[in-house]
This record gives sequence, structure tokens and C-alpha cells, in this order.
Amino acid sequence: MSLRRSWQVFLRELRLSPRSPVVFFAIAMPLILTFLISAVFGSLFDAKPKLGIVDEGGSEVTVAAQELDGVEVVLVDDVADLRDLVEAHDLDAGLVLPVGFDDAVAERRRPDLQFYVSGESLASNRVVLAVTTVDLVRGVSGEEPPVAVVVTPIGDEDYVPIGDRLLPFTVLYAVMVAALFVPAATLVDEREKRTLDAVLVTPTKLSEVLLGKAAFGVGLAMIMGLVTLALNNAFAGKPGAMVLFLLVGAIMMAELGLILGLWAKDIASMYTAVKAGGILVFLPVIFVLFPGLPQWVPRVVPTYYFLVPIYDLAVGGATFGNVTLELAVAIAICVALVPVVAWVAGRSERQLAMTV
Amino acid sequence: MNARVVDSIIRKDVFEFSRNRFLVFITILVLVVWVVVFWLLPSNVDETVRIGVVHTGLDPLLAGLQGDDSVGVGLEAYSTEDELRAAVEEGRDDIVAGIAFPADFLDATAAGETPTVQLLVPAGLSSEQRLLLSGIVTETAYAIAGTAPPVDPTTEAIILGTDRIGAQIALQDQMRPLVLVLVLMVETFALASLVAIEVQERTVVAVLATPARVNDFLAAKGIFGTALAFIEVTLLGLLIGAFAVNAPVIIVTLLLGAVLVTGFGLFSGAFGRDFLGTLFIAFFFMIPLMIPAMGALFPGSTATWIKVLPTYGLVEALVGVTVDGESWAEVTPVLLLLAAWGAGAFVVGAYALRRRVATL
Repeated sequence: MSLRRSWQVFLRELRLSPRSPVVFFAIAMPLILTFLISAVFGSLFDAKPKLGIVDEGGSEVTVAAQELDGVEVVLVDDVADLRDLVEAHDLDAGLVLPVGFDDAVAERRRPDLQFYVSGESLASNRVVLAVTTVDLVRGVSGEEPPVAVVVTPIGDEDYVPIGDRLLPFTVLYAVMVAALFVPAATLVDEREKRTLDAVLVTPTKLSEVLLGKAAFGVGLAMIMGLVTLALNNAFAGKPGAMVLFLLVGAIMMAELGLILGLWAKDIASMYTAVKAGGILVFLPVIFVLFPGLPQWVPRVVPTYYFLVPIYDLAVGGATFGNVTLELAVAIAICVALVPVVAWVAGRSERQLAMTV
Repeated sequence: MNARVVDSIIRKDVFEFSRNRFLVFITILVLVVWVVVFWLLPSNVDETVRIGVVHTGLDPLLAGLQGDDSVGVGLEAYSTEDELRAAVEEGRDDIVAGIAFPADFLDATAAGETPTVQLLVPAGLSSEQRLLLSGIVTETAYAIAGTAPPVDPTTEAIILGTDRIGAQIALQDQMRPLVLVLVLMVETFALASLVAIEVQERTVVAVLATPARVNDFLAAKGIFGTALAFIEVTLLGLLIGAFAVNAPVIIVTLLLGAVLVTGFGLFSGAFGRDFLGTLFIAFFFMIPLMIPAMGALFPGSTATWIKVLPTYGLVEALVGVTVDGESWAEVTPVLLLLAAWGAGAFVVGAYALRRRVATL
């Protein structure tokens, strides 16, 4: 095998990549997914009550409200705008603090309060905002609360928010599309358009083509995997271990991509195979999302051995020492896939030789 | 245009569609998955934050927090702190957290002392719920100490808009229009794929060698694409109960939506050089077309730029009828907008395909 010819194939893939829709997918989809997950799980299912404030006199209530964790505070210029925003449910509630509000509270006078509530706001959000507003106003009055509150954490200290539990999903998507789908799709495409036949009449061997395509897929997967981890702030101070697991995962996916690309007779059957087999590849993601499920099940799937260690390193606080067994299994799977790729390639080469 | 020729081309398309394993697989998969997902979604909204409480003699003070859905807080009484702790840990009785008032809380507060109250908080409790817990404790203590709140937002509040307390829109109802739009969008890809195959394999040239004219071909594609999208989305609508309110408006809206996605399907199919190219162009259209439907999930007013997207009228009409029970008169403006977009997309798609066919 000539590494120089494989390098030429790699460069050819790189040159053609700007025109390839599948490379565009590989680059765009992890970014879109990261955005969607943070948007959906950051604001749709975990939406904080929104309080709009029109502060006509520079009240301390506004300053204190903006420091609150648990209520999203929006400053609005005038009362009419505030009413419109509340009525449209852009805000759950709106508070108008007139000039002299703080003085009135400090002097124990009962100031006028304009408090608007959106009809579409949940009762639970209304009560949170009402209680919080009273608390904020009491803060301005300088009263010392007649009670001390101690927070005692209960139960599962390993609780992980749903947004974080979706990290393996975005990482797998980044690695799978780039390392599996790109080499598989380009292989099938080249076979369909018979450009592979043209390449193979030169001194270049199929194994060199496969190595070049796999290297391109692995390189792209590494870049997108690292970008995904960076966007999710998931390196957790262990970049070396992350890079290692990403590399092993990308190689594993690239090997599966080569097998798929050599096996599928056309792009539609390859796509159908990806759709049908996708559930197996994504199985570890489901078990990370639902930790109550028996955790031995995803161990039968190869992707477990790079995805779950990445998750454990990023979110679960694991050290490299905790995940060395998984790394060894992942490497063993990569090594075991080499003869399978060689066998499928050999079979494919014989078929190509017959058709040329 | 020759009706018999158009009919023959449609029959051919139906036959080819049924033979395309991939398209049939995608069509059935999308239908099954969305029906299952839809019925797994919550069908009601729980507006109440339930809190476990251990208290002694505080019933009259806390009574105001126990009641119907309009209060937003529900209290569950426990006799001991251990019992409350176990309930919080095991997530029993739907409580999100617990407040353990000490046995001498009433006397100590009334005597001007500062007693300590424990909040039993499970992992993952949202910060707004923490604010609520601590607010309840503080206000209870103030009430015992005889310090009235300086303001009373609960009774002085002015409700703006329709008050939906106790009648909030469930996620299932919010998702119904989104699911219908999603399935219509997927049909963009199905039609684009069929058209692209026809162009790539040049079967269109064979068709046009018969008495069929380009107009017959375009009409057949338009009718087939619209019918395919409409039948699938109508079937889905039946399975997810989308026709319970004002069915005629929903049917007209879905039909106009089917015309819209057919226009985009014709356009994508005309420009797709191969399977992946078609997939890419169809996705290129699907992402912006999905934005109005995604936006409908979020509370608040719609941004102006979303209103100029082609599917805005489709989503507005579906949301208006299925969620707000709007009538013909109320949705007519957005239906007209949708019809205009549908006609525009169809004309552009047909023109693109005509140009493509002419180059073959």
C-alpha cells in the first residue's frame, strides 16, 4: 500500500468537499443541533418566569431584581409597552415603580403598585413573581426577615440536567455524520458514477482509496467533535482524554462507514440502512438520557465505548483512569473491524474487476 | 392540457412511488413515529407547584396557599421531618421540595426570635421554585410577626389578555399544528426525490416523446405531489385528533399547505443533481419553513421576520383553529396569505422544472 497515493485521495476529498452536500451536513448539523438543544432545553422546558419593570425613579427594587437567579428581568421604557408585552405573553408579569417608590416603602407608607399579569401565564409563575415582588420590596424597606432559612440538599447528588445528558447525542451526531456518512456516501456516489472504476485503472488500489476517504472522514469528525465539545463547554479540563476518545470513536465510525459504503448498492439503500441501523448506534444515547434503565444493555453496542466515556469525562466527573477499560475495548473493536473492512473491500474489488 | 394524459402520468407516479422502498419507508416511518410521539405528550398542564410541609399550628396561615389551580401552590402536610425528607427523596405525592417548620416556629416568631426553617431541596430544583419556597417561609414568618407586606401584588394585579388559569394549553395541543407542518415538510423531500429521479434518469424525456406535453407533466406532478402530501397529513390529522374543531377550515388549510410544499418539492427536484443534492436542497428549504412552527411553541408575540416566511400563514391558521378555536372569518387573512405563498411557490417550482426539462 502506498501512503502517498492515499494522501492524494485525501487531498482530492478535501478539494471536492466544498461542493458536497453531505460535508455541508457534517459541518452544519452539529452546530444546528447544539443551538436547538440549548434553545429548547434552555428556554422552552426550563423557562424562568419573566418580569418586566418600568422604573420611573431609579428604584433599588430594579437593581435587586436584576441580580435574582430564577426570574428573568426585562427593563421596559414605558407603561404602554409593558402592558403590550404582558398582554402578548412576552412577559409573565409587569411591575411599574413610580417616582418615590423606595421612599414610600422606607417610610412604611403603602405605595401604589401597578402589577400586570399575563392571562396566559401559569399560576405557578404568577405566584413566584408575586412572592418575589413582595420579597424585593421588603428588601428596600430594610426590614430584617424574622426567620433564617437553611437549604438542605436531598437525594441524587449525581443529577444531571437534560441539556447536559444530550451531550452524547450531539457528539455522536458530529462524529457519525462526518466519519461514517461522509466516506460511505462518497464511496457509493463514486461507484454509482463509476469514477471509482476510473481511479482503479490507475496504479491506485482500492485499499489506498479507502484509507484516503477514511482519513478525510476521521479528520472532519475530529474537527466537528472538538467544536461540538467546545460549544457545549464539555472539555472539563481533560482535553487529552477527550481527543483520544474522539479519535478512537471517529476511526470506529469510519470503518463502519467504509463497510456500509462498499456494501450498499445505491445511495437510497445506504440511507435506508443508516436509518434502520441508527437506533443501534444511538442506543447508548437513550440509556444516558434515561439513567433508570438497565445500564448493561448499551454495552453490547460499539458506540458505547467512546460515547459514554466522553460523557463521563465531561459531565460525570470521571478521570482518565476510570475509563481506560472502555478505551481498551474501543481500540479492540477498531482492530477487529480492520479484517472485516478488508474482506468487504476484497469482495467489492472482485466485483469491480468484473464490471470494468 | 389533456386530462387523460395527466391521469396516466399520475398513475405512473403512484406506481413508482409504491416501488420506491426508501420513500415508502420514510413516509410510513414519519407517520408512525409522530403519532406515537404525539400521544406520549402530556395532555394537560399542571400549574401547581406542590410542596411538602411539616408544620405545627400553622394551618390558618398556610390555608391561603391551599386551594384550586388558581393559587399556583399546593401544600401536602407531613407529620415529621423524616417523613417529609423521605417523600422528597422518593418524589412521592408529586411534591417538588419540602419545608420543615420547627415545632416552636409559631411561638419563637411571635416572641420576636429568629427561628430556623429547613428547606429540603432535591437535586435539579429550579431556581424559581427555590425563590418560591424561601418566599413562602419568609412571608409566613412576617405574618406571624404581624408585619403586613408593603405591597400586595396578588390582589392588586391587573390581568391582561384572556385569563387561562385552569385552562392552559397542553403540550399535546401546542404540538398538534407543529406535527402536521412537520409531516407536510417531509413531503417536500418525497416529491423532490421523485422529480429528481425522473430528471436524472431522463424518464421525463421518454414521457414527453408521447403525446404528453410539458404542461401535462407539470400538472401531473403538481396534482400527485399535492395529493400525496394532503392524504398523508390528513391521515395523520385523523390519528392525532386535529379535526375536532372546525374541520372544514383545517382541511382547507392542509390542502393549501400541501400546494405550498409541492411548489418547494418541484423546485428542489428540478435543481437536485443527485440523491444527496436533492436531499440538501430540500433540507435547505425545510429549515426556514419549520421556524414558524417552532416559534409557535414559545410563548409571546411572533417576530416580524417570521411573519414573512411562507409557512407563517399555515401555522397561524392551524394554531388559531386547533388551539384558540378561531372561525373562518378570523383565519381568512392568514389563509389568503398562505394561498398567495402556495401559488407563488407552485409557479416558481413549475417554472424551474419546466426550464430543467427543457435542457434535457
